[in-house]
Amino acid sequence: MLYRETGQYKTSYAADSVIFPIRQDRIGVMIVLAIAFVFMPLMMAFKIPPFRNDYILLAILLPFLILSLAAIGANILIGYCGQISLGSGAFMAIGAYMAYKFGTGISEIGLPPLPIVVSILLGGFSAAFVGILFGLPSLRIKGLYLAVATLAAQFFFDWVFLRVKWFTNYAPSGSVSAPELKFFGYLVSTPIEKYLVALIFVTIFALIAKNLVRGNIGRQWMAIRDMDIAAELMGIRPLVAKLTAFAVSSFIIGVAGALWAFLRLGTWEPLAFDINRSLELLFMVIIGGLGSILGSFLGAAFILILPILLIVVPAEIGLPITTETVSHLQFIIFGAMICFLLIKEPLGFARLWQIGKEKLRMWPFPY
Amino acid sequence: MQELGSFLEVLISGLLAGVLYSLVALGFVLIFKASGVFNFAQGAMVLLAGLALVRCLDFLVARGMPFWAAVALGMIFAAAVMAICAFMVERYVLGPLVNQNALTMFMATIGATFVIEGVAQMIFGSDVYPLRLFPTDAWIAGEGVFPGGILINKLDVWGGVIAGLLVVALALFFQHTKTGRALRAVADDHAAAQSVGIPIAWIWFVVWLVAGLVALVAAAIWGTKLGVQFSITFLALKALPVLIIGGFTSVPGAIVGGLIVGAGEKLAEVYLGPFIGGGIEYWFAYVLALAVLMVRPQGLYGEKIIERI
Amino acid sequence: MSDTPQTLLSVENVTLKFGGVTAISGVSFDIRKGEIRAIIGPNGAGKTSMLNCINGFYHPQEGRITYKGETRERMRPHVAASQGIARTFQNVALFRGMTTLDNIMTGRTLKMKANIFWQMLRIGPALKDEIQHREYCEEIIDFLEIEHIRKVPVGRLPYGLQKRVELARALAMQPDLLLLDEPMAGMNLEEKQDMCRFILDVNKTYGTTIALIEHDMGVVMDLSDRVVVLEYGRKIADGTPDEVKSDQKVIDAYLGVPH
Repeated sequence: MLYRETGQYKTSYAADSVIFPIRQDRIGVMIVLAIAFVFMPLMMAFKIPPFRNDYILLAILLPFLILSLAAIGANILIGYCGQISLGSGAFMAIGAYMAYKFGTGISEIGLPPLPIVVSILLGGFSAAFVGILFGLPSLRIKGLYLAVATLAAQFFFDWVFLRVKWFTNYAPSGSVSAPELKFFGYLVSTPIEKYLVALIFVTIFALIAKNLVRGNIGRQWMAIRDMDIAAELMGIRPLVAKLTAFAVSSFIIGVAGALWAFLRLGTWEPLAFDINRSLELLFMVIIGGLGSILGSFLGAAFILILPILLIVVPAEIGLPITTETVSHLQFIIFGAMICFLLIKEPLGFARLWQIGKEKLRMWPFPY
Repeated sequence: MQELGSFLEVLISGLLAGVLYSLVALGFVLIFKASGVFNFAQGAMVLLAGLALVRCLDFLVARGMPFWAAVALGMIFAAAVMAICAFMVERYVLGPLVNQNALTMFMATIGATFVIEGVAQMIFGSDVYPLRLFPTDAWIAGEGVFPGGILINKLDVWGGVIAGLLVVALALFFQHTKTGRALRAVADDHAAAQSVGIPIAWIWFVVWLVAGLVALVAAAIWGTKLGVQFSITFLALKALPVLIIGGFTSVPGAIVGGLIVGAGEKLAEVYLGPFIGGGIEYWFAYVLALAVLMVRPQGLYGEKIIERI
Repeated sequence: MSDTPQTLLSVENVTLKFGGVTAISGVSFDIRKGEIRAIIGPNGAGKTSMLNCINGFYHPQEGRITYKGETRERMRPHVAASQGIARTFQNVALFRGMTTLDNIMTGRTLKMKANIFWQMLRIGPALKDEIQHREYCEEIIDFLEIEHIRKVPVGRLPYGLQKRVELARALAMQPDLLLLDEPMAGMNLEEKQDMCRFILDVNKTYGTTIALIEHDMGVVMDLSDRVVVLEYGRKIADGTPDEVKSDQKVIDAYLGVPH
């Protein structure tokens, strides 16, 4: 009964086209944001359970935020524009390494170390640039062929960051460490601070992504996805639509990659962004919901929480289970989830959520 | 002469390694031809077949069975496992997805990949298991022509011979049997094939079984070379560029593509590697495939696509 | 309409081949500003191929197509669209994952000018674009009587409504020339009547020139000002509905003798 839109009349198209047209949704989002920005940090600061230690923060919340951001990026390309990509990990890597280069300065061209926010954004722009390059073939190559082409990006950049020493500032071990995390003069070092930085980035980019997908450019992406020939006959230029999708998607993934490296890992190797990362992002998008920003969050949450549940639950009920079995079980459950969702609900959790809301709107009446 | 000799040695070892890529690619092509499904799980199937074979073999040999009998039983056991796998995939993954678009099917096989990998390792273990089915020593050819002769690995030659036989058998199967024709009909259009009474479920089971057996052969050869282990699944990823180069629907394409990739990456590694840092085997095949796609979007042997509305 | 009708588009000696198959051979006709022009003929006569040539999806090997006084070389379909040619499709080609409103809004793509940075923030020009074009789309929605399905994903709509949404999407482009490929195929009588009314209204209200392919002879004869008849890729007749109806070649090839 609480969730009704009856009596909420729209008197202008502007009011009808806001992100959350239903008042209850707006209140809900406000509450979620309040919890994320105020309530949780307070609980963490005072170490109120479940935040007794930093485990939940570092092992769940921070990865959740950053991977959600990456999943939003992947979803723009795969879910909204219909261009399947198996190379998202490579674009995270490009974001991470280029942000690192900009953050530590590029002596060859006399560029001093740049401020961290600028570096992260430049990392994103570098990824976008490469994304456009690898998007160019998408004009001629479609569907599955394109998927393999994106694999080329994945393997090529794995190799580049492993072998081309310039990217790692000639570090003998091949691994690199993030520059000092000074955001506008403020040194970010504690887990709570990292969490808040990630949260700010994710909030801003999720809003930007949402604005794009519900605007003109988003409609062009979806038109290309649903029927590219008809889209072209409508005056949509496939070149522009696909390349903007590649660029925006790669940019967001690149920023997520930089955040992942700087905030989550601190010190990293190319292995952190290998093909498994790409597949993981693809899974998040499918499980969460193709073509849904909310779904990207749901998918990321599921993929992160499942393994933890697999470790925690058997331990709680006293079932002996080795870490090896856990990883195998994880494989099986992910795989089965993917198949199940593709068969039963191709639009993922986001669609289930939407159906739930529709039901709730009618409740207690069936129609 | 010395240089030509070493060039030939690299080329031959590359070509023979390429044969193995071809074998995996062949499994893809079979399934794609028969169901229009791009099967990401082929690598997982190689892993499953290999693990089933080697674990059964070890088990029987440890119980004192003679090696040849153990091999025979192991093969039968592995084939049975592949049959079960084919049945499950058809029944629970592809069957419910009949008439869906190609990308959905593709993603479903990625899901299947994970399930198969998880199950295979849970049942059969996840260590490296050595397998000795073929001789692995080398013989030396052309000693009179080149100083020192050319080193050729016997295992690679075995692989080449077996792959050749398989291709001939499959070509005959596709072109000259009723099932083969039905397979091609299904690949063209699920709904249309169903409507003329082709039992799609049975056809898919057959083709996944055949692909499973091809995977078993590939596993036997690769397992002898490197031991049966998880990294064998990456082999499948190597087969993707092979497919791109050869085209998704062409059996000869898979073979030629495999040879090009195998020879190309070995030659590139030896002659180009030193200049740009080595390890380019890792990506060479993909970039080659990308280059081919830019010129011919349907691969070397694929059919040209006419767009209509 | 003025007394001396202006030619909007003329097709001269167009020949289109696919490999060895000749889909259209040496067809010429013209479309005058403001008229409803029908293209009829048996299946496989090359009608849809003709439309595809007109909006740049196929490129004829021979012949010329002159639109608004300009003869064009190989052009991409989106260029044709930007010059004011819109169309609907024989098999509904809507964007199935999008709502009716979003589908219609894609028709306004070419008219939206705000760049991506405004769109990211959805303020200023981007928001103005959205609202202003939404208003225009709502007019069309109103006109075609599809208000109730505004926010329904088109994949869920029945066939007749999908056809109507497709027409709406084409109209949203404010085309000068509207190509309709079998707009009434597969509809029941009532839906056909509605569709006829919409087509006539579009022609009258917006002054849009319309070229349509249709198999229902009653509809063709009632709606169109002039008819061109194709058979096996050749033109066999061209004229007013009455002239065409009594043409012996057309009767033999297509219409048949009433029993």
